[in-house]
Amino acid sequence: MSLIIDSVSKRFGDVQALEEVSLEIKPGEVFGLLGANGAGKTTAMRIVLDILRPDSGTIAWNGRFNTDLPRETWGYLPEERGLYAKMNVLEQLVLFAKLHGVRGKVAEREARGWLERFRIPEYADRRAEQLSKGNQQKIQFIAAILHDPQVLLMDEPFTGLDPVNVALLKEAFLEIKERGKTLIFSTHQMETVEELCESIAIVDRGRVVVSGSVRDVRRSGGRQMVRLAVEGDPEMAWLAELDGVRVTRRGQDYTEMQVPSGHDPEVVLHAALERGLKVTHFEIADPSLEQIFIEHVGQIDTTERTLAPKVPA
Amino acid sequence: MKGWRTLFPNAWHIAVREYRARARTRSFVVGTGLLALVAFAATQLPVLIDYSITTSQTRIAVVVEAAGMPSDSLSVLDGQLNGPAGDPNTHKAFVLSWLPGGDVAATQKDLEKGKYDALLIVARDPATNDLGFTLRTDTPQDGPAVSSIVDALLSLEIDDRLFRAGTSTGALTAPFALTIGPTNAASAGTNSISHEVSTNLLSTGLIMLIFMAIITYGQWVAMSVAEEKGSRVMELMLNATTPLQMLAGKVIGNGAAGLTQYGIILAAVVGGLLAQGQIHKAVVGTSTGTPFGGMDPTVLAAFVVLFVLGFLMYSLLYAALGSLVSRQEDVQSAASPLTMLVMAGYFMSILGLQAIDDSWVKIASFVPFFSPYLMLARVSAGHVEMWEFGLSALVLLISVGVALFVAARIYSAGVLLYGQRVSLRQVFLAARVSR
Repeated sequence: MSLIIDSVSKRFGDVQALEEVSLEIKPGEVFGLLGANGAGKTTAMRIVLDILRPDSGTIAWNGRFNTDLPRETWGYLPEERGLYAKMNVLEQLVLFAKLHGVRGKVAEREARGWLERFRIPEYADRRAEQLSKGNQQKIQFIAAILHDPQVLLMDEPFTGLDPVNVALLKEAFLEIKERGKTLIFSTHQMETVEELCESIAIVDRGRVVVSGSVRDVRRSGGRQMVRLAVEGDPEMAWLAELDGVRVTRRGQDYTEMQVPSGHDPEVVLHAALERGLKVTHFEIADPSLEQIFIEHVGQIDTTERTLAPKVPA
Repeated sequence: MKGWRTLFPNAWHIAVREYRARARTRSFVVGTGLLALVAFAATQLPVLIDYSITTSQTRIAVVVEAAGMPSDSLSVLDGQLNGPAGDPNTHKAFVLSWLPGGDVAATQKDLEKGKYDALLIVARDPATNDLGFTLRTDTPQDGPAVSSIVDALLSLEIDDRLFRAGTSTGALTAPFALTIGPTNAASAGTNSISHEVSTNLLSTGLIMLIFMAIITYGQWVAMSVAEEKGSRVMELMLNATTPLQMLAGKVIGNGAAGLTQYGIILAAVVGGLLAQGQIHKAVVGTSTGTPFGGMDPTVLAAFVVLFVLGFLMYSLLYAALGSLVSRQEDVQSAASPLTMLVMAGYFMSILGLQAIDDSWVKIASFVPFFSPYLMLARVSAGHVEMWEFGLSALVLLISVGVALFVAARIYSAGVLLYGQRVSLRQVFLAARVSR
């Protein structure tokens, strides 16, 4: 009983967009898909939604292949946002719900409820083109969830929203999760992932580099982080003598170092105390997702790798 | 393609949206109103022509200096110029002032003042005793009025010579036996010029209706596809519907909007024709013949079948081509190959109407892209067997099915491809891998 993506591959011309991607996403989970631009996140979502067909591999939700599932199983917020510019907001929300089999009256009530919740009830009768980008994005989000889908896929849902609206959207996420729905979203904002997601997958160049619960992924590097601050010895040159310990960051507040798994991080504390130093800060932590991400993917890459067949500009 | 099973109700929802979006645009409302107005005005053209004829009269002062004219001279002249007396529907184009022994100088003054349009002096040549005429007028000398007068004067001259010879025009032109009829009973009613003209006009008109519908409303479909793609709302739609549902909805919705426009214009035309008699009576004072004289129910039935099938086939292909571009500005150029075909068919039918029995017309009337025009031309000319029409319609129906399949393929691939220009090769590649 879960969403199972099984060895999915997809090639566009000479670009391998996805290569043997396998993932399992549990029902009721918030799942984050992390990757640089062009890593294959959008393609993966489109394949799950059966908008694109994979070259090989299958997608199944609760034991049924996605090709046999009704479309209303899914809710989708595409990365490229768009609405019918000349159509009024309520009308198009009702249209999208109707297309998913919701009755008009129910759709209208639900739509008004969500507009209320997003604090934009007065926009119901305006044309979409009269709304700001951020408000249009909220309308699109409502359009994606109005039919109460079992699985909600969102491509970069937080991009372009101000902090107030990000908070509103996060609230909505949690409510949908409480209704027992499954949420999958792609992002490259690590903080959001750490705040919301139970499980994640890091995707790079069409391959899943690492996946699992956030905790497992953070530990996947096979090491822990130690943050130490002592009085009177800012250099802490003696750290170099400790077996396996590698300093990653020196700061005014504390010095951060990596300790490989199999080594006890407390060795660092003992060594400091042995030298008669006064320890003001000692912390053992898992590496941040950002560190894991950079470790797997390399520097967050600014050059975009286009996945769609190349077209002359 | 699972869309086949669940075409409705989603295609219906999309059709309703398309219809409303189209019918609410200012260009639709204004355009429909203007076209209806123009169509109504066009139906009143005969009234206008008759009215302008009615109001134009040539006033002629006839100063008779000649002696011994036959007593029916005035009625001969009047009859020649204005047609037989006693017909109330005949408009008097010439008003004659018959002035026996009149004063030429005084009448000349009246002519100069504008009381008359022409001055005719009738004198007798002392040598031959024949009548001689002098016509003074500023009416164009090579115009119809002057030529009518000259013809009438010839009659007057002949009448006078006959009178002097001791007989009269009346005796010479006494009625004789004459019967004119059709070849046989079956061809009765088809041998008037007005029937031939109205049949020809009707089929030209109906062919033009098909042509305009395909070229205008087909492009609407292409536009609406490109618009969705350009605004990226397509991506939301793709999850909510299938390409087939979207295609069907768009073609139905835009087609219905087009038919609405047609319906309104047609209502204006029918209303105009029905009111024509009344208006004619009010303006000109006489009534006209019944409208729709040349309309044949078989031609209308064939028109409906060919119109619907032709429109469906073409607009599906327009939708497919619309899906290849991301901006509305590019629709025209992307659709141009198809537009060429539409125009080619139209011009072929115009040529074909003149050579309806040529073998190329017969062949083309079975070719899907041209049959909506050419089969209609053949049907309205009446030179077609029932099975020929059936076969042509069947081929067209199959073509609609093929167009649906091809268009759905191109469409489902095209809508996901973004870029300035998408080549057919890319579409072909993408079509193989998408649903």
